[in-house]
Amino acid sequence: MKIFLCLLALPALLLPLACFFYIVVQAWPALNWQLIAGSETVGNLFGDVSSAGHGLWSQISGSLLMMALACLLAAPIALSIALFHALWATPSQKRMLITILQILQGIPPIVYGLCGLILLVHLLHWGISLAAGGVILGVVILPLLSSNAIHALERIPVEQTESAKALGLTSVAIIMRVWLPAAWPGMLTGLLLAMARALSETAPILFTATVFSGITWPDSIFSPVTSLQTHIFYLAQEGSNAHAVDMAWASATVLLVLVVFFSLSARFLRRYEESV
Amino acid sequence: MNSDVKIKYAKREYENEADLATSQPYLSLENLSLSLSGESILNDISFALPHTGINSLIGPSGAGKSSLLRCLTLLYDDWQGSIAINGIETRAWFGGEDALRRHVGLIAQKPSVFPASIYQNIIFGLSRKERKQNQSVRVEQSLKQAALWDEVKERLHVPANTLSVGQQQRLCLARALALEPKVLLLDEPTASLDPRSKQLIETSLHDLAKTMPILCVTHDLEQAQRLQGQVIFMCDGKVIETAAADDFFQSPERIESREFLRWSVCDCD
Repeated sequence: MKIFLCLLALPALLLPLACFFYIVVQAWPALNWQLIAGSETVGNLFGDVSSAGHGLWSQISGSLLMMALACLLAAPIALSIALFHALWATPSQKRMLITILQILQGIPPIVYGLCGLILLVHLLHWGISLAAGGVILGVVILPLLSSNAIHALERIPVEQTESAKALGLTSVAIIMRVWLPAAWPGMLTGLLLAMARALSETAPILFTATVFSGITWPDSIFSPVTSLQTHIFYLAQEGSNAHAVDMAWASATVLLVLVVFFSLSARFLRRYEESV
Repeated sequence: MNSDVKIKYAKREYENEADLATSQPYLSLENLSLSLSGESILNDISFALPHTGINSLIGPSGAGKSSLLRCLTLLYDDWQGSIAINGIETRAWFGGEDALRRHVGLIAQKPSVFPASIYQNIIFGLSRKERKQNQSVRVEQSLKQAALWDEVKERLHVPANTLSVGQQQRLCLARALALEPKVLLLDEPTASLDPRSKQLIETSLHDLAKTMPILCVTHDLEQAQRLQGQVIFMCDGKVIETAAADDFFQSPERIESREFLRWSVCDCD
């Protein structure tokens, strides 16, 4: 029975590893420092169309900028939702809140992208911009961040909160001196997972934030950016150009490394949280 | 009395606490009732505690003893009736429920120390102003009152969770005492402790009872006898009998009390 179950579980373990190695093997010819830092060779791959001479640096920075903006916007809202859930929500409100978060988590990202296109890009006249992409990515990661923050607060023993109340601590003091010190590793774990999610989302920013080339660093928050995710998407469409496909694999490897970095950091932090 | 007048009255009384006559009870409950989710938990509870002495609150599980303590500290606040401390309605307490909880120390059944050092745990509830004034003296005094000083004086800065369960419970007592409360409420403080820790806590309570009223919930009838003072017997959300400990254990008046002392069960319906 045990062997049978292990055999059933094996594909789930092997497939991601196989994918990872396949991507790295495919990307290997193009993986070098110039890929990141840029050079004439890399830059002139597509003549005028490519991000001439800048390597993937502008795409990486664009992705990280959008990820940071999304987290900056979503983290305080997620913390507020978690505190509302813990402090004031009635049991029925709690159930409703969790259901809403689950529904929001289940909405396909492309729908968020479409909403962002209509609302932020067209109605608010933000245009294709870093701001629009950051806001939409923030909305995408908000349910994940909120759920993690709620669970981090729920893991604090009720006795500690009651003891703090019995000592006459105000709600603010309880939050600052009991809850946040106890819940920060869990919340930071959630933030790292949300960062990984924000980095891996393509659909929401495709319509709202990114262009293929011509941008190295956005002039302002309302300027478009380039990103790794959409860069892979555009390069993959150049199927006839062998070097473009190599570059797509290389970009995918860089993106994968970033996502794995944030995911593993979250995992190590969770292990630390459990050991405390 | 409207609420504004009540609050002014409360403020005046609170400031002149020392001048109050000791003839009136320190803590009094009148017709206290509590319902949670439509279920009656406390039903028309009335009793009073004098300015000093130990009062044991006994009764079977589910009698409403712990709920009563939560009402006294406003952890439950949707009760009906009256709870007054030193003649002041708790709901009209000057400074609100947080100030009330500093006045009324509450010790839970399960010790809960904060993830910090022993020293930090003791000063956890102190205000910034209080921390600046004689902080170390307060720590030493409260640890001595809780009979823990001799065991931890050399290691005040080690994590509190390295202490035994019995020591942690005494640390919780010391943490509450550091706030210099005027009433002490304890919810089965020795339920899961070894005999030695039990004895140390009971000795501390006897000392503390000389200066403040103590209300101690206990399932342990022998402990209630040892603590002496007044016994309040509760069953099914009602106070059945209130008597001096010796009188209650030797010749209880009510048939429910006799049944409880004999069988540890109570049927008061």
